[in-house]
Amino acid sequence: MKQDYIKFPLHLIFHPIEAYWDLKSDNRGRLLVAFSALALTIIMMILQKQYAGFLVNYIDPRTINSIIEIATVAVPFFLWCMANWAVTTLMEGEGKFREIFLATGYSLIPVILIYAPMIVISRFMVQEETAFYYLFNSIAFFWFLLLLFIGMMTVHQYTVIKTIITMLLTVIVMGIIVFLGALVFSMLQQLYEFGYNIYRELIFRT
Amino acid sequence: MARTVKRWLVLLAAVSLLLVNAVPAAASPAPYESYNYNYWQEAVPSPDAYLPQRTISGSDLGIGEFKDPGDVNVSPSGQIYILDSGNNRLVVLDSDYKLLRVVEGFMMDGSKESFNAPGGLFVDEEERVYIADTGNSRVVVLDAEGKLIHTITKPESDIIATNAQFQPLKLTVDRVGRLYVVAQGVYEGIMQFDEHGQFIGYVGTNKVERDYGEYIWRMLSTKAQRAQMVLFVPTEFSNVDIDSKGFVYATNIDPGSNEPIKRLNPSGEDVLKRFGYFDVKGDVRFRNNPGPSKLIDVKVLGNGMYSVLDATQNRVFTYDDEGHLLYVYGGKGNQVGTLKTPVAMEQSGDHQLVLDRGKNNLVIYEPTRFGASVNEAVALHYQGEDTEAVHIWQEVLKLNANYDIAYIGIGKSLLMEKKNEEALGYFELGMDRKSYSVAFKRHRREMMKEHLGTFLTLAIALIFILILARVAVKWRRRRQMDREAGLH
Repeated sequence: MKQDYIKFPLHLIFHPIEAYWDLKSDNRGRLLVAFSALALTIIMMILQKQYAGFLVNYIDPRTINSIIEIATVAVPFFLWCMANWAVTTLMEGEGKFREIFLATGYSLIPVILIYAPMIVISRFMVQEETAFYYLFNSIAFFWFLLLLFIGMMTVHQYTVIKTIITMLLTVIVMGIIVFLGALVFSMLQQLYEFGYNIYRELIFRT
Repeated sequence: MARTVKRWLVLLAAVSLLLVNAVPAAASPAPYESYNYNYWQEAVPSPDAYLPQRTISGSDLGIGEFKDPGDVNVSPSGQIYILDSGNNRLVVLDSDYKLLRVVEGFMMDGSKESFNAPGGLFVDEEERVYIADTGNSRVVVLDAEGKLIHTITKPESDIIATNAQFQPLKLTVDRVGRLYVVAQGVYEGIMQFDEHGQFIGYVGTNKVERDYGEYIWRMLSTKAQRAQMVLFVPTEFSNVDIDSKGFVYATNIDPGSNEPIKRLNPSGEDVLKRFGYFDVKGDVRFRNNPGPSKLIDVKVLGNGMYSVLDATQNRVFTYDDEGHLLYVYGGKGNQVGTLKTPVAMEQSGDHQLVLDRGKNNLVIYEPTRFGASVNEAVALHYQGEDTEAVHIWQEVLKLNANYDIAYIGIGKSLLMEKKNEEALGYFELGMDRKSYSVAFKRHRREMMKEHLGTFLTLAIALIFILILARVAVKWRRRRQMDREAGLH
């Protein structure tokens, strides 16, 4: 239990190349861990906006909305997984959807591990020390990007160049999915309006 | 029993109704809405700082209506000079707004001269009147009796084009008699003349703001196209005033500028302090009103404060010396207190005056309790009397709990008294991160000083106990072993 759910994720963020391979070949990834990482990231984002120290917190407290916070993390996350699966399936990637999901979820762990203490520490910082706060936030972000990159490379068994290309393509496909979604949504809405208008005409003509 | 309770309830209801009627819902007596910008740049309603008291027109004074009045100035002795440009005359009032005299013209070289559409005037400490006689292309300097001292016509200088017109619009004079003139079509800056009327040079130029889109567009176009393009010249100044230290305040009406107010030092550099949360440029957010403020007059009020007059929304904005917006009053309209076409603003005692060309009258504004308190507190802060300012800031906060500057003022005073922890809360309310950081640093150091000793003592004691315990355990174990070996 402890081995798979706590020790392995912590081992993974420091030794990503071999650990991602274990995740794929030995089936050591756990969906629960990936989902918890996503949930905890969302919680950390909300906590940071609400509780980070006054000197680093430039958020208007009246504008914090938990639903929007959830959407801004969760929607791109699932979009990434879907788009990446779509792209890599066409480009001879070896990863299954489950593995893509696991790799993406596990790569969020450093964000959680760095954000949590930084929220507390930022409350005891003065202006000159806030540089460290921003430094550590950037480290968290770049660590996440690095893990995501290695994860994708290992899961799909790609070369470096091909990983970069597929990641860029994934971002483009994410945009296309959003566009198509908006298109379908707007068409459905117009279809509904059309039907509703016909219904109204019929009602008022009788 | 139940009946008495009922009777009491009825009585209570009646009394409460009476009390509700006794205090009418106080509607603002001002014909405009006062507001101030908060940290998030939202216009938040604020109590009125100034209320219109009355207006003065030419017929009130019995001298016929004003016609297109151009400027108003209050001399250091308190006399109010109104430049009635359309009638080419100068109207002088005393500080109670009673007519003193009307100046129609002056004698020059034995003949009677009159003004022609004069645009600006200034009165110095010796009641000398400087008039920018725009239509006659000259500046006229009269003494207190209305006798001519000298006139300044177009200066002869290498740096002025020979075919250029000299049409002075606004002017101001410093303590030693140097004259600063804003003239029409002069982009080089403010013209500076010495006390004898000799041209010295230009001070302070508005910089041309380069737009990169425009720059690229220019690179791509042909020579013929470029010749038809708009020429980029610096904007002109719209008005000038001078403070007691000799710094010239100038406004310009460049709509794209974020620094339309300048405070020029003697070498012409802009030294206005802009420490507020947003630009010193009148309105900072335009959701329901069009465009940026067009600042057409500036008046130095003393104690570092200055007011500017906005011709877009016809409002007066007042700032303190650090660039915080103190209050806003005025507005468009036809009632007493709202303005049609304001052209100039002044201060007379604690009253503020705005000259309205559209309605041909002078509007007199009186400070409210809120406005007077703010003025007093800002003055005390400017003079360094922060502890005395605290009581007045607290008074201001009772009238307007959204007043950030008051929170910061109280916080700074607490910081001075070394009450760092209390200051933290005030700085957070005033959203002053810089001062908050200073207060927090001191507070943190104090906490460390106070508790580090206890902490270290405890830590050393703990380590000592641990070592002792270990030694004891070892000693006992050895004893045990010895006993088992039968040594005892």
